[in-house]
Amino acid sequence: MTEGAYPQLEPEWVDEVLLAGADDQACLHLDQPITRAGLRRMVAERQRALTEAGLRRGGACALCLPPSVAFITNLLAAWRIGAQASLLDHRLTRYEVDTALARLRPQVVVTAEGSAAPLRGFADVTEQVCGYPGRPATTTHAVIQLSSGSTGPSKIIGRDAANLIEEVRRYTQIDGVPRGGERIVSLASMVHVLGLVGALLYGLHAGVKLTIPARMTADGIIGAVAADSLPTTLLGVPFHIELLASVPDPPKLPQLTGMTTGGELVRGDVYTAFTDRYGIRLGNMYGMTEVGVIATDLFGENRPAVMPAPGLTVREEAGELLVSLPESPYVGLADPARWADGWLHTKDAGTVDPRTGLVRILGRLDSQVSVGGLKVDLTEVEHTLATMPGVAAAVVVFDAAIEAYLVLDRGDRLPAVESEIATRLAGYKRPRRLNVVEQLPRTATGKLVRDRAVLREATPVAASGSAVSGADAGPG
Amino acid sequence: MDGGPQRSDVVAMLATYGDRQPEQVPETISSLELAWLLHQIEQRYGPVDIDDEMFVRMATVTGAVEVLRDLKVGERA
Repeated sequence: MTEGAYPQLEPEWVDEVLLAGADDQACLHLDQPITRAGLRRMVAERQRALTEAGLRRGGACALCLPPSVAFITNLLAAWRIGAQASLLDHRLTRYEVDTALARLRPQVVVTAEGSAAPLRGFADVTEQVCGYPGRPATTTHAVIQLSSGSTGPSKIIGRDAANLIEEVRRYTQIDGVPRGGERIVSLASMVHVLGLVGALLYGLHAGVKLTIPARMTADGIIGAVAADSLPTTLLGVPFHIELLASVPDPPKLPQLTGMTTGGELVRGDVYTAFTDRYGIRLGNMYGMTEVGVIATDLFGENRPAVMPAPGLTVREEAGELLVSLPESPYVGLADPARWADGWLHTKDAGTVDPRTGLVRILGRLDSQVSVGGLKVDLTEVEHTLATMPGVAAAVVVFDAAIEAYLVLDRGDRLPAVESEIATRLAGYKRPRRLNVVEQLPRTATGKLVRDRAVLREATPVAASGSAVSGADAGPG
Repeated sequence: MDGGPQRSDVVAMLATYGDRQPEQVPETISSLELAWLLHQIEQRYGPVDIDDEMFVRMATVTGAVEVLRDLKVGERA
């Protein structure tokens, strides 16, 4: 067997940091409560299944699973084997998954039969475990995630066990996070860093019961909170604040002590509407896949600023926020514009108050946008469209939703182009509207213009995707 | 007489998310918009029982109108 890059820490870290605790403690609640003993038993079963499929210490697997008990148990099982787990969003298309696997080259791949139904907080998964012609882990990272790349391939981001443990322990030092014996109702996907570390790993470590609502509707969320009397924190993204704030007469929820959102800042009017209606604090968490939580304002006292988390330093250089990080998180990429000399470039514009240390985030310096809490790089979407057969040129812009302006080789190819987009891009990355134009506006030097007002003036050939234009528009 | 939501009603409900104009509402419905739409429907027409298969059909405005029609939402008895 080929030697892998053995994980940095002995696999016992999983038992010590995440699985330790009383056997009968209910640590998770998805469709039903799961005790620590039950979780340990399920993890052991998954270890047997993954080992049978060829996963060993130093090996590499990929998990393409929706939020589910299966995601949790397979992830912990892979780590207990001492293997590296790459996490692929379950909404990625077949094409995107195949492309990712060809880059990551794991030895074992775990997928789910069928797809998760809309608005389900978690899925009931039957895993499919398959071998893949890959190789053992080439780094000591415990988890690998992919981030939207700006041009060409996405960045491969790795975090080792020590870094994950450091973040979990960092959470324990932040004033305002839920404590042992309390509960988190997480609306943030456990496949991405906020839900993964902030809810799942921190919850397991600190004895905070993690509940996922069965339905991500206003009723579903409120029902999940109301179902248990433990002091409860809601964790989500700004959309959930808008949704909950619009419930005209919510029931009294005395167990709800606060809510925290990650992603972009909640608008002032929505912030006020929510806090008035529910009578709880609304906090904010700023972080990145590369490092996890960076700064918080869990009581809303410093809004719109956030305070760096213990153990991290944030500084500003040339208008960009940098975060202290001893080693580069990027696998196979040495780009000083991303990480250099112990500093991670956030690509967020911002300021740091020299007196208080408070951080203000002012916007992106690149083309990344947040679509319902998920990060999408517009340049990646544009590059995908522009290099597709049948597309002569493309510009992608964002104005509350992703929108594309296209010049096609042939006017009648729009349905084929739409179909191809659906195979190449996960739903949340796809333009919500495709405007086919005769030609794209360019500057005097020939560069594409991205000004939305100018683009709207471009002579249309056809528009696809408008609800108002009729039932014939859009995918059938 | 059909008192249920017409296409223009569904578009209008979707438009309330993000304070959009009706013509800014795309034909496709994202999962966040679907949660918002469900909320708007229940506020206007009362509780509805929509299963997974129906939610899948509500991926477009056309599909949503059809599902609400099938469920006889808002129709006078």
